[in-house]
Amino acid sequence: MQHDDVKSNVLTTTLESAINWGRKNSLWPMPFGTACCGIEFMAALAARTDISRFGAEAIRFSPRQSDLLIVAGRISIKMMPVLIRIYEQMPEPKWVISMGACASSGGVFDTYSVIQGIDRFIPVDVYIPGCPPRPEGVVDGLIKLQELVDKEKFSDYAPPATNS
Amino acid sequence: MSLADTLSQIKATFPETVFDVTEHAGEKIIHIQGLVVLDVLGEFQKSGFNFLADITAVDNMTLGGFERFAVVYHLLSQETAERVTVKAYVSEENLILPSVESLWKTADWQEREIYDLFGITFEGHPNLVRIMNPDDFEGHPLRKDYPRLGRKERDNFPIVERRIGRKAQRN
Repeated sequence: MQHDDVKSNVLTTTLESAINWGRKNSLWPMPFGTACCGIEFMAALAARTDISRFGAEAIRFSPRQSDLLIVAGRISIKMMPVLIRIYEQMPEPKWVISMGACASSGGVFDTYSVIQGIDRFIPVDVYIPGCPPRPEGVVDGLIKLQELVDKEKFSDYAPPATNS
Repeated sequence: MSLADTLSQIKATFPETVFDVTEHAGEKIIHIQGLVVLDVLGEFQKSGFNFLADITAVDNMTLGGFERFAVVYHLLSQETAERVTVKAYVSEENLILPSVESLWKTADWQEREIYDLFGITFEGHPNLVRIMNPDDFEGHPLRKDYPRLGRKERDNFPIVERRIGRKAQRN
């Protein structure tokens, strides 16, 4: 093999950054759209902002095929058990984006029936502000999440808890 | 039969149970005792008020009224385009009304909604279960004495921790 071939065909990296690179550029979102944020999320998928440019166009409505949960809209007390179940059905590693004011804090709906922020019960990685956020905001949140995924350390991965 | 004739006929048929007939914004409101609502609405249906536009309920706790709760029926005659509002009053001690599901099928879900949010029971309803709140919900949240922020039901879910990855070891 010639020296030039080696230079143009071999790349040295760490396994960690190679895996993170792969993960961050092929996030498969599971949209949980319960309100107007869901409509804005659809706009983020469409031609003008087109999140497939960031590798996140493979929308799966099955949690078992997704690694990114996008909670878009207010979550009522009747919907929260469903959301928890869907989150637990997603395979690891998984990330959560809380899109919009209602999912992040309950928004203006300070009533008995609306969860005051999904981060009270499930872990959230990125919050997108807005009521509803513009599609550009969704893209920005996705890029922020990609930065987080890129910084993940294998040493952070604790073994699953055992119940012995 | 015109609305005025129907109203006077109902007043004659149910003298004790019609409390009052008032008018608001050009439309008649007939205030009746709750237990006769099926008979009164049957009379209206026979005289041409064939469309039940809406059923809702009012908690008069802070407003005052004949009784604490009023179930409000909005009727429309598709022949004469006249509208009439029927207010059926029920007391807090005896929260039972006859169901009008036998007259209009649309009353089915409307009455379930009122049962869910006000706790008023409709006798003769085919499937009187909660329609919006979870089945294990306690209380009736549209009553004026129900706290706006609820009774901690929105805080009462299991907390799911991060199992692997960032910050997992914090727990």
